[in-house]
Amino acid sequence: MPEDLAEKVISILASVKHIPREKITLESSLADLGFDSLDTISMLFELESAFQISIPDDRARSIRYVHEIVSGIRTLLAEQSASGSSLESVPSE
Amino acid sequence: MTPQRRIAVTGVGVVCALGTGAAAVWESLRAGRSAIRPIELLDTSRIGFHSAAEASGYDPAAHFSPSQLDHLDRFAQLALVAAREAVRDSGIAWTPALRERTAIVTGSSVGGQTTEDVGFDDVYRRGRPRVHPLTIPRTMANAATSQISMEFGLTGPAFTISTACSSSNHAFAQALALLRSGAADAAIAGGSEAPFSFGLLKAWEAMRVVAPDTCRPFCRDRKGMILGEGGAMLLLEPLEAAQARGAKIYAELAGAGMSADAHHLTQPTIEGPARAMRIALSDAGLAPEEIGYINAHGTGTPGNDPAETRAIKEVFGAAAERVPISSTKSMHGHALGAAGAIEAVTTILAMREGYLPPTANFTQADPACDLDYIPNTARAANVGAALSNSFAFGGLNAVIAFRAWPR
Repeated sequence: MPEDLAEKVISILASVKHIPREKITLESSLADLGFDSLDTISMLFELESAFQISIPDDRARSIRYVHEIVSGIRTLLAEQSASGSSLESVPSE
Repeated sequence: MTPQRRIAVTGVGVVCALGTGAAAVWESLRAGRSAIRPIELLDTSRIGFHSAAEASGYDPAAHFSPSQLDHLDRFAQLALVAAREAVRDSGIAWTPALRERTAIVTGSSVGGQTTEDVGFDDVYRRGRPRVHPLTIPRTMANAATSQISMEFGLTGPAFTISTACSSSNHAFAQALALLRSGAADAAIAGGSEAPFSFGLLKAWEAMRVVAPDTCRPFCRDRKGMILGEGGAMLLLEPLEAAQARGAKIYAELAGAGMSADAHHLTQPTIEGPARAMRIALSDAGLAPEEIGYINAHGTGTPGNDPAETRAIKEVFGAAAERVPISSTKSMHGHALGAAGAIEAVTTILAMREGYLPPTANFTQADPACDLDYIPNTARAANVGAALSNSFAFGGLNAVIAFRAWPR
């Protein structure tokens, strides 16, 4: 469900930056959206929590565009399911 | 010898349980209204006490955007709200040169520990894999100073002092030194605290110093302190500069006295607090007889109140019986690192308005506390000079002296 994935990413970015999601497209750059370093680490935290993944620092550093975030998450999800490593377990509240 | 620069208070800002803004806070102080109530910020069913002085009228959304709030623990919010008021109140006009020469000194005992508490709860108890990444910048005790610096573009010396309950008075002492020495030409000084998190309240419970009912300083039936929260700031500048720009002058920050007990982590001495008061008087060039009001540390604990009473007697001698004393913690609670700042604003307003705020919730005096504590009702008084006491756990004492300024 790639569309859903992209939608979810855009929602998270909108929520972190307190901007309307309509302002965000796959072609938007984080810089254009006004993400500074603190916004970016907050975004990474929210993405990791939402998708139950761990985004390594080296991959996080190379992210510039929203579509890179979406494809990066897709790759991470595929890698984690292929390696059979369980997704991060988050206890239910 | 060049005469020492005199330092004026030209702006005040305060937010605490008694209200948001000096006018609202003063109205409550003048009326002797205690803001101690059941705790609402968190569930206290597993805590051994349920009363506190929360800034319940303070609405974060009325002061900050959602993006700003992401970066602000409550203790930093309270500092900023107070700093904004003090700056606005002072009417100071920032020039590039003055911005570089303005100091910021804030006090806080525990900084943004509410943020830390949430983050640690996430990983320790909820088993979450990570802590929110803004935990460090929100928690650091200097966050309040840094936020004030960014808000007004102030680039002079800026730092934070953490000496538990004396933090704010130590901050005033440092600001005074910076201004007197010429290292700064204006200063925003004060403190803030927001201690209402489950872990910290459990720690206070374990100290067995928090009252189950209310705060009754100097009373026979006092049962301890009541925690409070808030922020308060003073805008300080050299008297000459204030007069040159026609500023409203509230009072003169005339002196400060600091001492350490070198005795015990929690048991106060008589000599340490007494020495801090003596040094403050001498630094301000004031005789004990000239002091018309003391805003006491007055926590309402069994240990503090008789010790503070004895210390005052030691310093003031025969004049001790004539000097009106009150503990306004009976109304705004003990706001720890913000206590000295809230009480400084209280003392300044008392001198300016000509009314001494009372010790609220007063029942019957402890025989070991036999001075004039202004029980329950504010009293009209023309005060020429006043002291404000802060004595911290760890035996660190800081007292500041104000001289009234004619309206």
